[in-house]
Amino acid sequence: MNMFSLALIALVLSAVPIVMLCMGDPKRRRAVGGKGSGMAPGQRRLLVVVACIPGAICAGLGDAAAFLMWLGGCALIGWILAAYLPARAND
Amino acid sequence: MIHLKKEETKAMVAVHGWSGILLGLLLYAVVLTGTVAVFAHEIGAWSAGHVARESIFEKPIDATVRRLTAMTPPQYHEAVNLFEIGDHGLGAFFHRHELDAEGAPTESGIYYQLDNTGRINRTVQGTDEEVFGPRNDDALSSFLVDTHVRLHVPNPWGLLLTGILGLAMLVAAISGVLIHRHLFKDIFTLRRRASPVLVDRDKHSVAGTWSLPFAFILAFTGSFFSFFGTIGVPVVAMAAFSGDVEALSEAVFGNPGPADPRPVAIGNLDRITADAISRTGEAPTFLAIEKFGRADATVTSFHNPKASDIEPVALLYNGATATFVRAKPTVGTTPSAGGTLAGIMGPLHFGNFAGILSRAIWFGLGFAMCYVTFTGMRLWVVRRKDEARSLAWLERTLTVVTFGLPFGLTASAAAFLVTMPMGSAVFWTPAAFLIASAGAILAGVVAPSNDRLTQLLKVATGAVMIVLPLLRLFVSGGPGWNEAIAADQPIIAALDVAFVVAGIWLVRGARTTESVPRRRTATLGAAAEA
Repeated sequence: MNMFSLALIALVLSAVPIVMLCMGDPKRRRAVGGKGSGMAPGQRRLLVVVACIPGAICAGLGDAAAFLMWLGGCALIGWILAAYLPARAND
Repeated sequence: MIHLKKEETKAMVAVHGWSGILLGLLLYAVVLTGTVAVFAHEIGAWSAGHVARESIFEKPIDATVRRLTAMTPPQYHEAVNLFEIGDHGLGAFFHRHELDAEGAPTESGIYYQLDNTGRINRTVQGTDEEVFGPRNDDALSSFLVDTHVRLHVPNPWGLLLTGILGLAMLVAAISGVLIHRHLFKDIFTLRRRASPVLVDRDKHSVAGTWSLPFAFILAFTGSFFSFFGTIGVPVVAMAAFSGDVEALSEAVFGNPGPADPRPVAIGNLDRITADAISRTGEAPTFLAIEKFGRADATVTSFHNPKASDIEPVALLYNGATATFVRAKPTVGTTPSAGGTLAGIMGPLHFGNFAGILSRAIWFGLGFAMCYVTFTGMRLWVVRRKDEARSLAWLERTLTVVTFGLPFGLTASAAAFLVTMPMGSAVFWTPAAFLIASAGAILAGVVAPSNDRLTQLLKVATGAVMIVLPLLRLFVSGGPGWNEAIAADQPIIAALDVAFVVAGIWLVRGARTTESVPRRRTATLGAAAEA
């Protein structure tokens, strides 16, 4: 598998738990007036670990470039989700 | 997170706020131009219409260099730098090492600028500082990079200034971590219905938290580059080499070996480039020939990092025989942790270690940094606005810089596209930026309100962005999409689309800015009536 495929797959795999973390975040749900209290702390911690696994695999494979792209890409995904989802909820 | 005592938190909040507000406007300018400069190479190709496919180092250069050698006075045969310019053209700087009037080491010689067919377009003679200015075909990308690197302030003061700005960014990032008690708990929390202070605070802290690792990386590596030559090298030279910078440079970056000054013609450069390409899988970005024309000549071939790696590659060749000697570490002659760290500074800062994908991610992170800087300054102003009415001027200044700078940059791009065919882009690119900046400042003075000013600058920037692809196609005479894609330059079409989309987004954003205060006023009115 080449570096780009590895980085992209790692990003997609991490994006799923990040989306779930964002949607189930209790403070965010309270801020946008969502229903329910959000995810339990244990569930959220588990999702954080799951989100980090693809990056750990990139690092374990010694692919520094894929790891950095994964790290930067996750930061962007998280920021965009945090900025976009509340706006949608407000709509 | 980290729990500080109340007094310590207050002190940290003050450090965070003042470090941001005092240098924030300049920091914003450096970060924004740095964000755009991530794509400096692509912007160069887009603006000048580059359609050549092959690197100049994938084609024969040996005969060309020998032809240039014959034309060059022997006093400049001490060393030669070869690198790509423009549309896969060749830059060749035949030079000698000497000391300037102040005793600082410099390089003096003749700089040949050739196109991709080997024809000499221009010859410039002088020191390295004199000959490596912007060219007509790269005035736009040069302007961007120069703004980012030293804000157009002469050396060394410009580099010192941007280095200090990098340190201020580090201070702001560290103090931000210390003062934010719920850094990760609030990572998804944006309260849009709260008071303006809380809305701005959430925007600032969410973007800041997500981009925190990169704030450290970009600030540290940026400061490293600014301080490396201006403070680091002179201090180390003073401490270990009695102030002899040349000796330091030779010890750290040179190729030690017995001197052999016998005159021997340089080996076949085409053989060296072919070997370097076969070892690294890609063409060199730079060739440095030292002791040119001597038996002990060396050729160093510099390359981008290999796939999956972030450390650039350098290969050392025997110049006289054109044979491979060894892979060359960034520092010293044997691989070391320090050498690796020094080597990865560039890729970490520029994000150029994995082609367009890594650069796109670095661009996004740079945009996040701009957003953090802007929202941080805005938060500082909004918090104090009711206490001190005089801060209204600061709010306007913030708007003029935040939205006026992108307007100035797009205006300079438009001016470049119009004036490049006339050969006057080197003058008009920065001139248009200054004119547009003056217009933004004037708008800041006369606009009836800050919201109206924001709206005006957004619409102006968006309108210029939408026009840029048309100027490129019909005024500058750049390649159409079919021609660009056929020449393996899809980035030209991609940037056209990006400018139009960004322009529409800005114009639509300006309409939103217009409607929000009205809605807010209506809500307040209803609340007052109730």
